[in-house]
Amino acid sequence: MKPVTTPTSRAVLSARGIRKTFHATEPPAQVLDGIDLTIGHGEFVAVMGASGSGKSTLLYTISGMDRPTAGQVSVDGHELAGLDDTRMSALRLTTMGFVFQHPYFLANLDIHDNVLLPALKAAKTREQKEEAKARAARLLERFEIGHIGSHGITEVSGGQLQRASLCRALTTEPVILFADEPTGALNSSMTAEVMDALTQAHRGGTTLVMVTHDPACAARADRVLYLKDGSIVDEWKAGPWEADTTGDREAELLSWLRDLGF
Amino acid sequence: MELRYGLNDLKRNKAVNIALATVLLLSAFLMATGAMVIERAVSSVDQLLSQARPPHFLQMHAGDYDVAALERFAAAQPDVEAWQVHEMVGFAGAEISWQRPGTDQGGDLSASLIDNLFVTQNRDFDLLLAEDGTAASPETGEVDVPVAYQRQFGLEEGDQLTVRTDDGARTLTVRGFVRDSQMASSMSSATRFVVSDQDFARLTAGGGGDPEVIVEYRLTDESMAAGFQRAYEAEEALPKNGQAVTYTMIRVINTFSHGLVAVALAMVSGVLILIALLNLRFVIRGAIEDDVRQIGAMKAMGIASKDIAGLYLGKYRVMALAACLAGGAVAVGATAVLTRGLAADFARAEITPLTVIAPVAALAAVYLVVMTTIRGILRRINRIDVVTALVHGSTLTARQAARRARRQRRAAHRTDLANFRRGSLNTRLTWLGLRAEGRQWSLIPLVFFLSTIVITVPTNMLSTFESPRFVTYMGAPEADLRADLQFGDDLDQSRTELLSAMREDPRLTDVRSYANVVYETPGEDARGDAGWDSLRVEVGDYSGGTVEFSKGGAPEEGQIALSALNAGALGVGPGDSIRVRQGTEDAAATEVEVSGIYQDVTSGGYTAKMQGNIESGANSYVVYGSTGADAGDAAAVAAEYNARYDGVEMKPMRDYVQQTLAYVTDAFRTAAIVALVFGVGLAALITVLFLQLRLSRDRQKMGILFALGFSLREVGTQVLLKTVLAVGLGTLAGVAVANAAGEAGVGAVLSLSGMGLTELTFLTNPAVVYVLYPLGMVAAGCAGAAVLLAGLRRQDKSTWLKEA
Repeated sequence: MKPVTTPTSRAVLSARGIRKTFHATEPPAQVLDGIDLTIGHGEFVAVMGASGSGKSTLLYTISGMDRPTAGQVSVDGHELAGLDDTRMSALRLTTMGFVFQHPYFLANLDIHDNVLLPALKAAKTREQKEEAKARAARLLERFEIGHIGSHGITEVSGGQLQRASLCRALTTEPVILFADEPTGALNSSMTAEVMDALTQAHRGGTTLVMVTHDPACAARADRVLYLKDGSIVDEWKAGPWEADTTGDREAELLSWLRDLGF
Repeated sequence: MELRYGLNDLKRNKAVNIALATVLLLSAFLMATGAMVIERAVSSVDQLLSQARPPHFLQMHAGDYDVAALERFAAAQPDVEAWQVHEMVGFAGAEISWQRPGTDQGGDLSASLIDNLFVTQNRDFDLLLAEDGTAASPETGEVDVPVAYQRQFGLEEGDQLTVRTDDGARTLTVRGFVRDSQMASSMSSATRFVVSDQDFARLTAGGGGDPEVIVEYRLTDESMAAGFQRAYEAEEALPKNGQAVTYTMIRVINTFSHGLVAVALAMVSGVLILIALLNLRFVIRGAIEDDVRQIGAMKAMGIASKDIAGLYLGKYRVMALAACLAGGAVAVGATAVLTRGLAADFARAEITPLTVIAPVAALAAVYLVVMTTIRGILRRINRIDVVTALVHGSTLTARQAARRARRQRRAAHRTDLANFRRGSLNTRLTWLGLRAEGRQWSLIPLVFFLSTIVITVPTNMLSTFESPRFVTYMGAPEADLRADLQFGDDLDQSRTELLSAMREDPRLTDVRSYANVVYETPGEDARGDAGWDSLRVEVGDYSGGTVEFSKGGAPEEGQIALSALNAGALGVGPGDSIRVRQGTEDAAATEVEVSGIYQDVTSGGYTAKMQGNIESGANSYVVYGSTGADAGDAAAVAAEYNARYDGVEMKPMRDYVQQTLAYVTDAFRTAAIVALVFGVGLAALITVLFLQLRLSRDRQKMGILFALGFSLREVGTQVLLKTVLAVGLGTLAGVAVANAAGEAGVGAVLSLSGMGLTELTFLTNPAVVYVLYPLGMVAAGCAGAAVLLAGLRRQDKSTWLKEA
């Protein structure tokens, strides 16, 4: 019996019977096999599992980047299956934010313009545009990269770029933030830098769904889901990271993961 | 290993490789077809010339002549192998009708403007050939009709041909169709019917026909023709009232009409090869960039750059070879279609070694050019640095990488997205993207620039030659109607009657009459004292300024205007003087000043104009008139006058231009259609090929935009907008160059062709070349983009980020 993961607060995202099959391979590969999932408002959920278990596919399917082969996803009260391209993109623009393993940026824009881009897209009036610019500037300052705003993307470090990526995801004040291995390409000091920034964003009220291989990163989550062969086989609930004063949170998580064969 | 690598690459990049192979195949196909058509045309004409043995020099003449003088001249010329006076009797098309026995099918030949000359078969040379290549020899009561008429009027063997003479109608049965080495070309202004001696005598005696002769000479050496012509023209007593033609001219004129199509094909093929090379550069550089890490690894293992380049070279060698072989094979079929008319008009050409060598040489040239270019592009592999390739995945050297980073930085600093005010964000991003990726996108404007030239120039040439205003290149005024008076008993009387009727006709305005008179002028090589050349002069009123002069102006009293070819041959320009005389008396010669030079493609391009009014004694007359704005009236008026006046051939000017220039317009129409199909098709194909590669490199960027909240439609619109801008830029440049430089280029080619045009101003159809074609090109580009963008919809967008 697969666990139906449940949030500790009002649901922002719910998925029922999610299946995803890739037909490009021979035979077709079923990567997600009937996943049920609910994520509550303000929650920080980490998704773990071995390579090829379907973590990233799950992230992109529940975020509407890809369409599921079967099943339903609802984000912030919107059934994704019923949305056309325009409404789906509008929902992504206003409700979701993305941080990827590689901080993909448009090479022909500087850091500031890259960060500002989604907010500018969402702004309809001049006032909204001005507000977007102020928000982008605040975010860059908050994550301590205000000084590199006018830099090109090849002129800054990987950690700075990933923090800029987080700023970009937050400029539209999304309800939910999806992060796909945001520290996967970073060294340990940069990883800490980025995780602090993500934790800070979560503390600010953003719901966070993060795919990661790193138990130290996952230990900051309220809940950790473990995927195996396209199904959620178990979940680890730990409550808010800030509230944990025991210091053995990461060890507990590691022990749970070892039991699952991680 | 090379083969395995090539096959794997073919599988991996199927669409790109197919598109590339198609472009190469089309280039090879057109080049081989051009070479084969030229070879077939030349062989076919040569075959006809060897069977029919046309004269090496001929002089047409209307009127009396001195046989003894001809005999004396021939006896005095050591180069004359044989000579003859070939008698002909000409009838207007309206006087000749045909009827298919047992049916109501029939009509007359008035739709043809050229002279219909009835002749008997010659014995030794200038033979008119039956379909089997033998000399046609109809029995009494039979006639052999020119093959051109077989096609034009759909005549068949057994049809009845009736010639209306003054004595009554003579009916002959069509026995077969003849090919005529002298007058085979559709450029010829006359055509010959072969009848028996008895029928010829009856037609001549019947009256109503216009007797003419051709004095013909076969020489021991055809290269002596030009010298022989000078000797002939220097002899005063010889008949010269008509055109003189040499063997070389016959050969050139015969080959020209088919040669035009071949030259157009070769030109289109040249542009195609250029496009293919641009594509190869784009694709191979892309492949090297994609495979840079593998190349770095191979270099690290100690594999030489030459061997790595060999992996790519092998694939393209096979592709180029296959394209050339397939292109050559298809070209055989296409040549058969394009040269179908050759066998009918000329002769079935024999297969000679050159038949094979010509296309093989053309294909070998294509192959060599392609392979040399590929080798040049692959030299890039030599410059790849192992560490940069493995660590950064870049083909650039450290210096190039630093330069690119600096460029990107500068571009990024200038974007200032925060402060943009006007236009949508999508348009702004498109513009910034295009600015940053300008170099990569340059292929599209280049291809569309070249394709637009390819489709525009032949169409401009076609519209120029089809335009009623083209008469200005025919040395004629712009008018709606043209009446020719060439045949008939009393030309002068006919002219007087026609002119007064037209002047009194309230529907007609601006009625002008011109007389064609043969003058003589000292030839270039024998100025002053040696020989006199005949000079065909049109005498009339040029004061209205209706004829266009490329230099100088209209002739006034005591002045003469010369056609460009005549001015060139005589070596004179406006302000110079030449001596002219009518008749053969030196004393009658007068000095006239050259007032201006005009372009003329009629009468071989050698004409002249003088101000004056000649009402009698001219060789022929032409009367122009206008019907006002409604061009539809012209045909009705012409039909009415043709019915009312014998010996008058009145035509709407548009019909006259079309029929007179059919040989060129047909060739240009074929060229224009071929160029249009290939140009537009190719542009769409290259767009697909380019975008296929471009999109695969831009996937990451599209993935980011999609994740950030840009809809697929918006992402697609950005690509489409870039395509439209790139396509539009290339197309606009192409239109501008095709209409400006194309004019000069085509003018230069035409002036070399000896058609009588020295400079050409395109008479374009603006709606077609400035609106329809550019829109068609942009639509072709958009269609290519739309096809590819439609494919994006089905993909999982997350893969765009993963595969980057």
